[in-house]
Amino acid sequence: MQLKPRSPGNAPSLRRALAAAAAGLLAGGTGRAQEPPSDPPSTTIDSALLVYHEVNRVQAIEPELNLTYKVNEDSTLALGVAADSLTGATPLGAVPSTLPQTYVRPYKVVPLGTPVTVTSASGGSTVMIIPPATGAKTQTLGASTTVVPNTYPLDRGFYDRRVAGHLGWEQALTETLKLDGGVAYSKEHDYRSESAHVGLSKDIDAHNTTLSAAVNYESDLSSPLGGTPTPLTEMSAEWKGPDATLHEVDAVLGITQVMNRRWLTTLSYSYSDAHGYQTDPYKIISVVDPVTGQPMRQLYESRPESRRKQSAFFDNKIHLTADVISASLRAYKDDWGIKSLTADLRYRWQIGANYYIEPHVRYYTQGAADFFRYYLVSGSAVPAYASADTRLAKFHAQTYGMKFGVPFDATSELYARIEYYDQHGNGSPAGAIGQLQQQNLFPDLKAYTLLLGYTYAF
Amino acid sequence: MRNIFERCSAKRRHEPRATRKSRRLTGVLGVLIAATGAAGGAGCTTFGAKPWEHDLLAEHAMQVASYPLETAIDEHIYFSKEASSGGRSFAGGGCGCN
Repeated sequence: MQLKPRSPGNAPSLRRALAAAAAGLLAGGTGRAQEPPSDPPSTTIDSALLVYHEVNRVQAIEPELNLTYKVNEDSTLALGVAADSLTGATPLGAVPSTLPQTYVRPYKVVPLGTPVTVTSASGGSTVMIIPPATGAKTQTLGASTTVVPNTYPLDRGFYDRRVAGHLGWEQALTETLKLDGGVAYSKEHDYRSESAHVGLSKDIDAHNTTLSAAVNYESDLSSPLGGTPTPLTEMSAEWKGPDATLHEVDAVLGITQVMNRRWLTTLSYSYSDAHGYQTDPYKIISVVDPVTGQPMRQLYESRPESRRKQSAFFDNKIHLTADVISASLRAYKDDWGIKSLTADLRYRWQIGANYYIEPHVRYYTQGAADFFRYYLVSGSAVPAYASADTRLAKFHAQTYGMKFGVPFDATSELYARIEYYDQHGNGSPAGAIGQLQQQNLFPDLKAYTLLLGYTYAF
Repeated sequence: MRNIFERCSAKRRHEPRATRKSRRLTGVLGVLIAATGAAGGAGCTTFGAKPWEHDLLAEHAMQVASYPLETAIDEHIYFSKEASSGGRSFAGGGCGCN
């Protein structure tokens, strides 16, 4: 290493600098001795904006804001609000056909005699007037959509807005025992969800082990546009039945263990028991001709009113020299016959002290629900439950993502993440009838997400 | 050892399907617990860290829920596109998106 020769001209300024530094240190030291130690941040603001884009389907934008406030040494208050806006197209559940297909749905109820000036509804639909019954004081308007041949039928008028909020409280009862509880609320134009939860966690073994248990009760109200259809009845523009309810109890038991100085592991088991309306009121299933495979009728789908879910979740965080690996595995099953496995891996690559990048890969695979059918066949017995919703089909999906984070200091961080999600199912099931052999009954779902986040503690 | 495995598999052939399914889930859990135990025990005989060894565990990235908002958003997306939910937290989605 080449050292610069000392410049004699620097000597006086160096002496002055040293003197000033010594004076400052002395003054600063005296001052600090009289000040109380600085408190850790009591308030944390966590904000994020999600932009979600499905290729040829749903687009969504979702801002979220969480706030936690440490009321005192033992108590923490948590508040959160979220909103999202979805538009675009979503699968109807019907099979494609080599012929044009027309679907009708309820659109609006207006007082009898109201002049109808609307000529088109959202998503390229045409408004149609349903002849009122004798003596009726209102009349129903329907929306009619035509799907061109050899096209997977989508509801292109999909539109939803949601606002949600939660309020929580965490209370340390002793040095090792914590109680937490909270309520949550979510509202869409056709759905409302209310829930409350309570949980307890206990540290043992000098805070190396945490045992936790929590329960949640959720009560939902479904108010579909056009009313709640009777399962397995024919799709129509008539106004349907009243709102439907769903009640769900969830429980989670967990253990978090410090394995060593660099390794934290969590194992949890969750159980969920839901009763009530779990059918998707907008999904239909085609009844096809047994020879040609052409759709003859469209029925509203039908799902069981009871569902029990179980899952085991195993999560690990491993600290390398500076980087952190997060790896998790989930095994899931329910009494609808669905089994799934999820593996998730993130590698937080710390590049210097000021930023990190985090590659992410996730693999998901699920089996089909017992009552999943691509279609029903005319002339065969109609089962009690049937759904052509591909979310209940057998498929696998991959997520690839990259996150870039800039922690400005110990109290704030800005991050951006982009991800790609790809879902593959079997679009050519064995035994497909007639024209269905040339159709894709499970088009791939591809989605991109952009997430921007900012966290600030003060 | 071989006899033990043979006895186990012979016994399972006569079990009802529901019992076999239940055993399979228990098996998955057992493997996870065993893997945790085996890996943790590979370098030393006890789990845990001394109080003065919690420096790395105290880092933000090592918290169980280090980015709760990001996790919640992910779970919401997957809940609306897949049939499974729960595990990390409650299975109820709190919305009509599935």
